This record gives sequence, structure tokens and C-alpha cells, in this order.
Amino acid sequence: MGHPYIPNTREIRGQMLREMGVASVDELFADIPAKIRLRRELKLPGPMSELEVKRHVQAMLARNRPFTQMPSFLGGGVWLHHIPTHVRELVRRSEFLTSYTPYQPEVSQGMLQALFEYQSMICELTGMDVANASMYDWATSLGEAALMCARVAGRRKFIVPTLINPERFNTLQNYVLGPGLELIKIGYDSRTGQLDLSQLRRELGGDVAGVYVENPSYLGFLETHVNEVAKAAHEAGALFVVGVNPISLGLLRAPGDYGADIVIGEGQPLGNPVSFGGPLLGIFACRDDVKLVRQMPGRLIGMTTALDGKTRGYVMVLQTREQHIRRERATSSICSNEALCGVAAAIYLASLGPRGFRELGEACAASANYAMRKLRTIKGLKVPIFDAPHFNEFTLNCDDIDISAAKLNAELLKRDIHGGKPLRGEFPELGETSLMCVTELHTKEDIDRLASALAEIAG
Amino acid sequence: MTNYRQARWAGDAVLEPLIFELGKPGRMGYTLPPKLHEQLKIPKNLLREELELPELSEVEVVRHYTRLSQMNYGVDSGFYPLGSCTMKYNPKVCEELASLEEAAYIHPYQAEDTVQGALELMYRLERCLVEIAGVDRVCLHPSAGAHGEFVAMLITRAYHKLKGDGARTHVIVPDSAHGTNPASAAMAGYEVVTVPSDGRGRVDLEALEAAASEHTAALMLTNPNTLGLFEDEILKIAEVIHGVGGLLFYDGANLNGILGKARPGDMGFDIVHFNLHKTFSTPHGGGGPGAGPVGVKSELEKFLPVPVVEYDEKHTRYYLDYDRPHSIGKVKAFYGNFGVLVKAYAYILLMGAEGLSEVAEAAVLNANYIMRKLSGTRGYELKFDAGGPCKHEVVFSTEPLRRETGVSAKDVAKRLLDYGMHAPTYYFPPIVSEALMIEPTESEPKEELDRFVDALKNIAEEARSNPERLRAAPTATAIGRLDEVKASREPILSWKMYHKHQA
Amino acid sequence: MREGLYYSREHEWVKLEGKLARVGVTDYAQKKLGDIVYVELPEVGKRVSQVKEKKTKEMELGAVESIKAVSMVYAPMSGSVREVNSALQDRPELINTSPYNEGWICLLEPSDPKAELKNLISASEYAEFLKGLK
Repeated sequence: MGHPYIPNTREIRGQMLREMGVASVDELFADIPAKIRLRRELKLPGPMSELEVKRHVQAMLARNRPFTQMPSFLGGGVWLHHIPTHVRELVRRSEFLTSYTPYQPEVSQGMLQALFEYQSMICELTGMDVANASMYDWATSLGEAALMCARVAGRRKFIVPTLINPERFNTLQNYVLGPGLELIKIGYDSRTGQLDLSQLRRELGGDVAGVYVENPSYLGFLETHVNEVAKAAHEAGALFVVGVNPISLGLLRAPGDYGADIVIGEGQPLGNPVSFGGPLLGIFACRDDVKLVRQMPGRLIGMTTALDGKTRGYVMVLQTREQHIRRERATSSICSNEALCGVAAAIYLASLGPRGFRELGEACAASANYAMRKLRTIKGLKVPIFDAPHFNEFTLNCDDIDISAAKLNAELLKRDIHGGKPLRGEFPELGETSLMCVTELHTKEDIDRLASALAEIAG
Repeated sequence: MTNYRQARWAGDAVLEPLIFELGKPGRMGYTLPPKLHEQLKIPKNLLREELELPELSEVEVVRHYTRLSQMNYGVDSGFYPLGSCTMKYNPKVCEELASLEEAAYIHPYQAEDTVQGALELMYRLERCLVEIAGVDRVCLHPSAGAHGEFVAMLITRAYHKLKGDGARTHVIVPDSAHGTNPASAAMAGYEVVTVPSDGRGRVDLEALEAAASEHTAALMLTNPNTLGLFEDEILKIAEVIHGVGGLLFYDGANLNGILGKARPGDMGFDIVHFNLHKTFSTPHGGGGPGAGPVGVKSELEKFLPVPVVEYDEKHTRYYLDYDRPHSIGKVKAFYGNFGVLVKAYAYILLMGAEGLSEVAEAAVLNANYIMRKLSGTRGYELKFDAGGPCKHEVVFSTEPLRRETGVSAKDVAKRLLDYGMHAPTYYFPPIVSEALMIEPTESEPKEELDRFVDALKNIAEEARSNPERLRAAPTATAIGRLDEVKASREPILSWKMYHKHQA
Repeated sequence: MREGLYYSREHEWVKLEGKLARVGVTDYAQKKLGDIVYVELPEVGKRVSQVKEKKTKEMELGAVESIKAVSMVYAPMSGSVREVNSALQDRPELINTSPYNEGWICLLEPSDPKAELKNLISASEYAEFLKGLK
């Protein structure tokens, strides 16, 4: 019986072997030394029919509690948003889904144009001129941004905020190992969370390649002095890198407007499911400066014409930066990226448009604000811990009610609510603090339910 | 000879307009529930004033991207023999399982008790990959092959550092290696030393022995190599590298050629990476997302990125283990491309051991079938014809055709597009001039292979009688050849730059 | 090829102009690369060493790129960069159309021309060298 994914049945394979004058398929593996030739069957589950696979995997996954079944206030790097159904449908179209990198542009204009549109929309959001066709995620984009700054500026130090997302910092540490760059952390004001500008100015010398801030920060507050950070960085000859949650950019100023040279971020919330943390979508954009663009990692789609000089078309450009040409001198080893996630982002943004995207930002900020207002009234809770404007994430401290953030979450779970991320392990100086996130997914009732649950637990 | 026509949406000097050129003010393709009335405590100077995005209804968005998809080509469209990419058929049930709520709508920071299904899936997938490769543990974090190579290089660094061996400064790479190999090694701070291939198309053992020294951190090797040939001296190669204290890294891009027939772990490889979007049939997505897990032998386990998925027998639960003092830390956020991992796991279940073995047999047979049928055709030559079999891919050179008629491998590839087939990889590997790297995979029916070989023969004939036809190709696709020189000389990389350019 | 010029085996040409040396790539190089889309010019003041068999970073002057390949430009003589041909920034194709004239890449101030000249080859030797490559 034929296999559904292997059209050449045993009979046909036999026929082919006869045509080739080969006795058996084993002959085609005869050049594998006997010593390493596997003579037993691999010990693996299956084979299963489609029906059996579905049952097996569905039963396994049924032991997960999706956030569609209970309100969850988690954020911190990936965020829960509604994905319009047509976005999911369109990226599952097999001409997109089962294609590969558009090496033959003549037959791949669909993907190329969709990625050009993605690049373009990211530029509009971030205020940059050039965006690549995706990196793996925000964390690796940060690693690549640091490497790029070092290459462009010819310097070895890279400055980051102390309150940087630890997963991103950890990834960055691995990325800078190669050239041995030095990472410097700048502290924050304990009351407002804002980056310590005087410490920054002290650290900025002739050996700093780049200064990085996250805005909104990992802990949800906005860095209100970014103009000055940009100025200080530029005066010292360093590049200014800003990391963002792009959902905030419907409401907040584009980093390009306050001096960013490179903008990175996590594109997952733009039309991609959270999916337990992957696949994600690394945003990477920069200004149109030849010194920067030529040092950018990743694929770039450019506009051109057909050889007739008239018909507009799209191709991969500046490939001489990439690994298949430059090999060990490439700007990055990245080859396969998160292209389809980028297309989902483009479709998502095209569907929301400027008004929808702004409304979404406002809705998230409004709901978060409502949550902060309500939770703040609960005796013993400090919400947020920083006196600064916030977007849609905020900190919640429960030191005063003598309960750990972890225990708080366990109690919330008993009430079918998923609390935020405890930060004690990452920032012990912040005590029993959790990172909460509110989006358009949360109804007023969800937030009220959280508030009553917390009031009950605290009381 | 060919009646193929790709869909072609044609406007005024454009195929499909750019999305920014469509729509009308006020249109929207999305509805939001009403927002709460709250005073936003955000200072006005931090708010954005304007944002330029297209304004389209859902209808227009759907039509636009539907049309774009019709001007694209995937494995579901037809033959896609891109060498070393393993463009095999992607079972749709895998797609459906990854889209389930229980897979797609779980947050990585959820309490472990609420994601036991996800952890179990990752744990089981790891066990499967361990068995397939003959290693001891597998890290599922890396998002792509190149990412996996980079992680392997970081593990290599950590390994030598722990041994106090600071002299390990270089990594050896064959001249036929995929560009990501030297690029990843360089990213990890290594100097790259290239060794040539011999007359049989395999790594030149003598040159390898000469290059290997106490400075060698590792050798990066693909087996079968990029020429589709099995490195039959692999045991000797392992001896040479291990003999100088280096590690052996396996680039898993070509695993489809030996599934169930041999295991990299048994060949002596210490670190093995996998391309789930190749061998394990997760869709390529036009460039990604994929996944590049990295497997290691037990002595390198301690260096794996955190967290690792473990099983607590006592409490019968899966958990994320961060307590690994020698870990290299994180190589990206969270735990890997879970959405891709689900598909790979489902694929392994669908195939089972006997299915995966059959995959390798059918893939290798298909490639050898093409090799036999095309061999001897005037215009095409096998550079490294040692009379032996190839594995899952075969590299032909169109150098003879070029000498005869002046057409290049590129021209042949472009004409192939007119047959409704995707072209093979060309100009790679770098050691073969006018290379056509053909990987049919096991998904191709015999009729399609015959059609492919016939097409190549026809194209060779056409090159002799009417070379202009090739140079003008493709003509059946949505657009003909593009001006790539202009594209790189005056790059227009966004709608914004396009506007500036028009001005 | 032009007489009166010196050549390197890396396909660079050198024209001595008094105390300075004008450097570019040969016609063979530009043909091999195809349409040139970008030139990475050295910084004025950069110090370079004469190219040898085993290449190092100090011997690199810059690079010339087509859409599918990158060719390093090596220093045919040791010295420091006095001037670069900034016209190549907007019109890299000058190297294709006029490799020995308008497509010049930079002006070097050689540090030891007398000694190093003997490491370069003449036009006829370069022609022989090219024949050997085919």
C-alpha cells in the first residue's frame, strides 16, 4: 500500500531500480561503512494514521490551559492579542506556507511583495527608513544590533539598562562573546524607574558603540527622557538603539522621531499567536544611512523593475552582506528567518490601519489604566511600583500583605485567573513584585474579577 | 513543450499594486470591542501624532494577499528541487495541530501545571530526535539551522573554556560547506580554516590532517555533504579531529539522505543539529519560521541552553530545569519555536521508524534515478562521478553546455521555471562551476522526475538551437527577469524610501 | 591592460604619480565581477601593507561588490591612503566602464616604493599570468 506522502510505491520503486539496473535500494547505501550502518529499526513511536495522531496529540495538548479559557495577565516579551481570523487564513495559503526563500523572484513575487510591505509598515511604525525581512526574535535582534553597532562605530562597549528583560540580556551576552564586546548596565531611579542619565553620561566615552533602551521598558513604564539619551549617545559618537513592543507604536511616538538609529523589537503581537513563546518575529530597522544599511543583518527586499525597465517587481537585495556570499565575513549567519510571521504582521497592520492601530493602543492603555486604578485601592498592594506613565504592562507589589508573588499566583489560579510574572528571581531588589499585562482581550469583567480575587486574597 | 502559466495580476506597470496604493480613507479591516473610558496618564509629548498605514476593508485585504499568494510558488504548487533545502510535502494535519488553541494560545510564562501538555510534547520530541541522531540530549531552542550552528559553536567554546584550553582558536570547514557554517563559526569568535575537497568530492583527508592542530576547536561537516555524497571516510575524519582534541559538529541539513540508515552520533559527531523545516517536514513559510534543535553527547550536556525540559518521576510532572550551572545561558527568549515543534512531532508520529526509513530510501532513490537518467546527456556533467551512488541530492554542472552554447546554469534554471517547476539551487556548492544542485525528496512521483529530466534535455536542445529563448526566460511566470543590478545600486527598501525616490 | 602600469596577482593596477601611487582593479577583475553595485572605499589616512600570498587584514584596502560576489581590493604597495575616489559612491559602475581611468579607487602614499616595486609584475607578465588562469 502506498504511503500518502511518498507517491512512489514499492512497486514503482522496484520499477525505477530495474530501469537503473540496480538490484535493490540497499545498494544505494552501500557506501556507508558497515561499522556505522544502522541495522536495527529506530525506536520511535508510530507510525500512526492521521486519526491516531490527532487523538494522541490532542489528548496531550488537552493538558494545557489556554488563556482563551481563563483570563491571563501575563506579558513580558510575548503578549496576548486578538488575531483577526482572515490573517490566520491568509498565511495558511499553501503558496505562501510551503514556499521557501524567494531565490527565484520571477515565480515568487507574492512573497517578495508581501515582505516588502511588511518592511514598509515596520518603517512607518518605528520611524525608520529600512527594515529587514525578520530576525528570530527581539532577544536575538538585540544581539545582532550590538554586533552591528560595534562594526559601524569600530568600538567595543555597549550600554543597556539594568532593568532590561533578563532573557534578552542573557542572549545578548552570548552574541557579544565572539568579538568580546563589553556590556555596561545603567541604573534607574528607584522612584520613577527612569534611566539614570547622569550615570549614562559618565559611562559614555570614546569607546561606546551603542546605547540601548527599551521603551516601554520591560516593567511597563515609559522612558520619558529618551530625547536626552539620544543626544548623549550621539554626542559621544555612539549609536542609539531602541527596543519596542510594536503594539505601543499606534499610540506612542516613533523611536525614529526621538533620535533612534536602530529600532528592534518583538513583532509577535502583530498577528501571530503566542504559541508558548515561538515562533516569534524579530523586528530590525534602521535609518537610511549607507554606513548602517550595509552593516544590517538579515534579508532585505528591494523594489526594482523587470528588465523591460517598466514593470515594477521585487527582489532580495544587498545579498553581499549575507552568509551565502560573504561566508565568514557576513554581517550575520542568519539564513532562514521568520518570514511568514512577518507576512502575518503585514496583513494584521493592513487590516487595522492607522485608526484601528491607534484605537488598539488606546484600548490596551485604557484597560491597563483601569486595572491599575482598581488594584491600587486594594490595601497592601502597590500598583505600579514606579511613578511614571505606563503603556499596558505594570508592576504589582505585594510585600505589604506578607505573601509571595508566587503564592499570590497560586491563589489566583485556584480562582481560574492567571496572574502576572513574578520578578523576584530576576530583580530581587524589587521584592515580591509581579509584571502584569492587560490587552484588548481583557473585558472590564475580567479586570473586576482580578480585583475582587486579589482583594479577597489580600484581606 | 510547456503549457504552464503562473497567475499574473496585471495593473499599470505593476503586477498587484502595493498595499499602500490601495484602499480609501476611513476604511478599516478590523473591529474592536468598545474601549474603557479611562484618562490616559501619558504626557502629550510622548504620544504619536500621525501614522501612515493603508486603510482597507477586510475584503480588500483578503483580495490583495490572495492575489499575491497566486503569484507565488510552493511545494504544494509543484516540483521544488532546491538542493539542501529538502522541500518535501508538509502534511496538513501537522498544521492543524499547531493551530489548536491548546498549542497556539498558551503563554510561555504560565505556571508549569497549566502547560504540562506542551512540556510533555517537547520532552517526547527530544527523545525522538535523540534516537534518530544517536545523541544523548537535544536542545529545542534554536529558531533556524544557522541559529543551531551558532549555538553549537557557543557550546564548543564553553567546552574548551571549561577544560582551560585557551588555544582553540579556529574551526575547520570544508570548501563545499553551506555559507552559514563559516558565518556561524565567525559569529562565535572563531577563525575559519577551509579545507579543500578531493577528486572524489569528499573532504581531502590529507589536507584535513594538515589543518588539524591543537588550535582546532571543531570541524563542521555535513554528511552526506553538499554534493550529495556520503563522506565514507567519516570514521577516519572523526579520529583526526578527536585526535587533536577538537569536537565534531554535524550540520543536519542533509539528514534526509540517511534517516534510519545511519546516525551522526554513531559516526563520531559530538554535536548534531537538525533542520525541522527540512527533514521533519515543517513548512518553510517563504523563508521561515523553522527550527534548528541541537543535540549533544553526554559530556556536552552540561552546556546546553536553559531551560531544559525534564520529567519528575516522583510527582509525574514535566518541568523546566534552570538549575544548570555550566549552561551557556540563553540563545533566544523562551524555549524554542513551539509552533514548529508541534508539527515536527506530529510528523514523526505519522511516519514512525519504518516511515522515516522509507523516506530516506525513496529520497535517495529519486535522486539516483535523476542522476542515472540525466548522466550522459550532452551539456550536463557530473563533476564527481566516482561511479558510486549519490544520496538524497545530486549536483550536475552545466559547464559543457556553457562551453558549447554560452548559456549559463542560471539560464537553464530560469527556463525550467517555464515548465511549472521550481529551479534547483544553482551556483552552489562553490566548488562546482555552473552547478545545479538537485534534491527531489521522497515526495516526488516518478512521472514528475521523468518530466524534470525531459525538461532539462529539452532545454539543452533549445540552448543549441535557440539560446535566446533561455536568456529571455522565464516568460510563463508572473514577471520576467528583474533588474537586480539597479535594485542593489539604488536600493528602495520601503514605501518611505520609494516616496523619497519618486520626489 | 595598460603599459606603464604595475600589476599585482590580485588583479590590482598601480600607476606611479610622483610621490603617490594611484590604485584600481584591472579589466579582468571588473569583467569577472560583472555589474558593480557598490565599492567599499578605504578611509583616508588608513595604513596598509603590501599584499602577500597569505592575506591579512592590514593588506585590505577595500572591496568591490557585484550583486552575487564580493572581491577584496588589496594594497599593491604599503603606505597610507591619501585620497579616495568618492565618485564611486554614486557611480560604482565607473569601474566597469573605465577601470583604469575614472574607475580609480584610491591614491596611496607608498612607504617603500623602491623595495616593493619588485614584488609587482609588469603588463606583459600580468598578461601571461591571466593566460595561466584560464
